[in-house]
Amino acid sequence: MSSKATFASFLIIGLLITLVLIAAPVVYAISLSFYTMDSFVADPDWIGLANYTRVLSTSAFWNALGNGLVYSISTIALQVIIGIGIALVLNQTFRGRNLVRGLSILPYLLPTVVIVLTFKWMVDGSIGILTRAIAALGLPPIHWFESPQAAMASSVMVSVWLWTPFVTTAFLAGLQTVPASLYEAAKVDGTNAIQRFYHITLPMLKPVLTVVVLLRAVWTFNKFDVIWLLTGGGPVGSTEHLAILSYTTAFTKFDIGGGATIATLSFLFLAISVFIYFRIFPLDEEES
Amino acid sequence: MTRSLFGRLALYLTAIVIAIYSAFPVYWMIVSSTRAPQAMFSSTSLWPGPLTSEYYSNLLELTDYPTQFMNSLTVALVTVVVTMFFSVIIAYAVTRQRIRGKKVIVASMLYAYMFPPLLIAIPMYTFFTRIGLGDTLTSLVAAHLTMTLPLGVWFLWGFFKNMPFELEEAAMVDGCTRLGAFLRVVLPLSLPGLLTVAIFSFLLSWTDYTFALIMIGSDANKTVPVGLASMIGSFDLRWGEIMAGSTLIALPLFGAFALLSQYFIQGMSAGAVKG
Repeated sequence: MSSKATFASFLIIGLLITLVLIAAPVVYAISLSFYTMDSFVADPDWIGLANYTRVLSTSAFWNALGNGLVYSISTIALQVIIGIGIALVLNQTFRGRNLVRGLSILPYLLPTVVIVLTFKWMVDGSIGILTRAIAALGLPPIHWFESPQAAMASSVMVSVWLWTPFVTTAFLAGLQTVPASLYEAAKVDGTNAIQRFYHITLPMLKPVLTVVVLLRAVWTFNKFDVIWLLTGGGPVGSTEHLAILSYTTAFTKFDIGGGATIATLSFLFLAISVFIYFRIFPLDEEES
Repeated sequence: MTRSLFGRLALYLTAIVIAIYSAFPVYWMIVSSTRAPQAMFSSTSLWPGPLTSEYYSNLLELTDYPTQFMNSLTVALVTVVVTMFFSVIIAYAVTRQRIRGKKVIVASMLYAYMFPPLLIAIPMYTFFTRIGLGDTLTSLVAAHLTMTLPLGVWFLWGFFKNMPFELEEAAMVDGCTRLGAFLRVVLPLSLPGLLTVAIFSFLLSWTDYTFALIMIGSDANKTVPVGLASMIGSFDLRWGEIMAGSTLIALPLFGAFALLSQYFIQGMSAGAVKG
């Protein structure tokens, strides 16, 4: 086969696969949002923008958007703080460092289901280990999922635990690129550890941080399974975010057009936010 | 660097706290899956024991777990193979030639990172149901490819970009065809990148709950994450069996991590991983 033919066939295969697997579903989803369909095999009826006006006028949509923002922002803020803290400690030299580094990645390897089930077992009403520990300390029992605030706090807590390793690993890799001479020079100038962190570490790692926060924000906002498995969106919709609302609309109420509309709006919101984010924190990219 | 005794003590203490914070739930999952039923309710010991294998044998003999395990394995392996095949081809075409279609591919892959799962799942489910392939492992593989393919293309794109053209040119001067140079020179040199893509595709597919929940309806086709999650919906909570099932899904991942940790870390620090 000639060089040209090899390339041409590679490219055609590539384009086809991309179109079929990535572009087609999204185009189909967006087009479904202009139709009404009450089962997955029913014939769709064109209704124009009616799904949009309907969805945007429900309080459930705005509630879900608000919950999603509260969930994403608190999860990201906490995991960045904890992740950076852990990375700074694991960057020191001490015996057993590689073991602790390995252990610190564990949460990221686990399937969400395993994490949620283990959490539920640990806080089980009567015999969970955390429930027992809290009782042994003489503290009042915590009802993890019963009030709206507690359910949201539990969702955030589990998510932070699950994703901190991502921040830790990215930050730890970034720390290796900061020249040690900078710290030495600053030390000679009589700075303390906190000053060195704010004036050397943070500015040097800003590019890493910008990317990490962006990626985590996008994925957290879209994450469905953690909250779904923990609370199912309850109690009374207090942890229901757009992914869950879209799922229940399409798959339990069989309002397929409505579900597609919510998913499309959620994507639009995300795309606009990312655009604004890049305006505020431009990536100084020399490579692309 | 010298440190005061107090400083060293504080460092080791925080390291221990980090280790416990990260690993205790995993440890507790394994301990619980092997603790005899009567002790589950009474014992407050943090050490393992009294040991039993009862939950594991219940799980393997009385539930659909073995079938679900095989379903998960099939879906994950097929996803890995298909992802590697296509992402190699796409990434190579995109890095080695200036062509018009290139932008479409790269942009689609970038946007795919931002797609809400339901934006993919609703149309996929509708499509597969309409063509009579609803509730099949094939449809689940297709859904997983929408996560793994962008990951593979992105990662290998970076990898091929940094590989000098001269290598292939030298091979071609020596009489290799373009395809031959690709197969004999580029691919072997990309092995670390390929391994990373394989690991993360496996991880994404193996741990996926969302797509499996939507695409699969029947018990016979369920994958482990969905099967396990449905155990908690039932009336009597069989925590021992649930923890045993959790341990069994996590085990292959720990094994892979122990053997291939450098590739895991490489992929995670490249920010290539969705989750």
